[in-house]
Amino acid sequence: MTLLELRGVTKRYGPNTVLDDVSLEIGRGEVVGLLGDNGAGKSTLVKIMSGVVPMSSGRYYWDGEELAHVSRPETERRGVETIFQDSALVPTMSITRNIFAGRELTNRFGFLKLKQMDEITTEILDTVVSIEGIKSAKQLVGSLSGGQAQAVAIARAVHFKRSLLILDEPTSALAVRATEALLNYLVGLKAEGISSLLVTHNLHHAYRVCDRHIVMNHGRKILDVRREDTSVEELTTAVVEGVVR
Amino acid sequence: MSIALEERTTRLRLADSRPTTRLGRFKENVYYLRGRGALEISLVYGAILLAFVVAAVANPAGFPFLNENNLSGVLSQSIPVLGILAIGAGVLMIAGEFDLSIGAVIGLSAVVFIRVSNEYGWPLAFVAAVASAVAIAVVNGLIVVLTKIPSFIATLGMGFFWTGASIFVNGLSPAVFAPGVRTERLVSLFAGDYGYFRSQIVWLLLIGVAAWFLLHRHRFGNKAYAVGGNVAAAKAVSIKPNVVKLQAFAFMGLMTGIASVLIAVRASGMQPATTEDYTLLAIAAAVVGGCSLTGGRGTIFGMIVGAALIRTIENGLIIGKAPGFYVQLFVGVSIVIAAVFNKLMEGRAT
Repeated sequence: MTLLELRGVTKRYGPNTVLDDVSLEIGRGEVVGLLGDNGAGKSTLVKIMSGVVPMSSGRYYWDGEELAHVSRPETERRGVETIFQDSALVPTMSITRNIFAGRELTNRFGFLKLKQMDEITTEILDTVVSIEGIKSAKQLVGSLSGGQAQAVAIARAVHFKRSLLILDEPTSALAVRATEALLNYLVGLKAEGISSLLVTHNLHHAYRVCDRHIVMNHGRKILDVRREDTSVEELTTAVVEGVVR
Repeated sequence: MSIALEERTTRLRLADSRPTTRLGRFKENVYYLRGRGALEISLVYGAILLAFVVAAVANPAGFPFLNENNLSGVLSQSIPVLGILAIGAGVLMIAGEFDLSIGAVIGLSAVVFIRVSNEYGWPLAFVAAVASAVAIAVVNGLIVVLTKIPSFIATLGMGFFWTGASIFVNGLSPAVFAPGVRTERLVSLFAGDYGYFRSQIVWLLLIGVAAWFLLHRHRFGNKAYAVGGNVAAAKAVSIKPNVVKLQAFAFMGLMTGIASVLIAVRASGMQPATTEDYTLLAIAAAVVGGCSLTGGRGTIFGMIVGAALIRTIENGLIIGKAPGFYVQLFVGVSIVIAAVFNKLMEGRAT
């Protein structure tokens, strides 16, 4: 069953066409790999899917229903969570305040329930992701290492995701073991009926866990193939040379 | 299900390492205050205050710092006004914007206060003065968020405009209260003398506490820090930066409006184009108190201490009979030192 569908999505920045007539589907409980070289348009596509950047033209369907206005609040309501490549955290805020930024737990007058948020953050950091060196939920994100900050971003997305988890190069700052754990987690999500879209340079990662692979080249979709119908070699040729054999 | 990003065996659970006693929690809170500027500047202020007190005790005639007239007549009037303005400027800086029209708006809204007082009495005038300051700040904010030009330039230009507007409305001669308008009640509320302190201190305390709750314990504050600290990250979690910035501008207008009334009542008049100094002093106080020039960093406590520090040293220089330009030298140098210090703090935030 299709969860998210894009039809004829085009994105222009001034005279530059970054995405050119891209259509794709993501099924419920499906793990989809989005591959392509630098400048292929992957990150722009992710930003459009998560509602952060508007598309120039095209249609966005959710559960078969067209969204008239795609915005971040709209996608958030539908349970889409994204781990952005630049991790999208605020360095001058604590881990707790980052996790709950824009979704603060408050009383009805808007005052923060800081103690409760600290407790939940501690719980998430202890159970969802586990990474060495974080001392307290009150620590400023600016004081964390790249991997720790990545872990916080992952923890936030994993905590709030309800239907689709988008990961844009999530493993760039992670060690080998951490990467393995994250990839296995995506496979496990399928059982909960949660879809994920994995954007990566690493074809071996993608090939191992993704049910389907979409390859982008210069803003166009050049390949959309199920895992059983392709090979790492074919994907490599598509990504590197921009041709499908 | 969990994602073990590290081997779990050697790792302590965060939940187990949290402090359990009241003292432990207090220590933890103080620890995580480090690197946010307020603690450091408080130590500096404490040291200066101590030095002044020692000097005053040793030589009461030559350095009358502890004189009742000095504490009540100078410090407890000048610190609160600058503190309130620093809170406004600082909250706006945290959200990532500046307002260089603060001084001009003080002039205009004080003129509004005096003239409306003369016609309709001060309660309505208070509302009018504050409302006009808020409205002007929102107009400034709209120009900034709609045109995307830097607030630096937009509000610099608007500052000249509002100064011109207040001269247009009032003429160059000072606006003064009509006989019988500046009643005892009005004075006791906004500039009352209660021995060692004045009513302005009470205003600063009330506003300081309210602003602390708004910035540090309310959803608005969290959003302001997010927008100023990393606007892309804020957008990615559904925060609307323009709305937050407009709210911060409006808050600053509120502070400017209240400060303008305090100034007008104390001085019992207002001449347009004489309050420009407040703009840079307010921003300086915020920076000295730990607000980052690039947004996302600062505390209410720091802003107040920053204002107190500037006013106290200024006062010390004056009663110590230093030449007038020393004050300007000091303010200039302290802004630069504070900005450099903030920059260093940004590198190693704990």
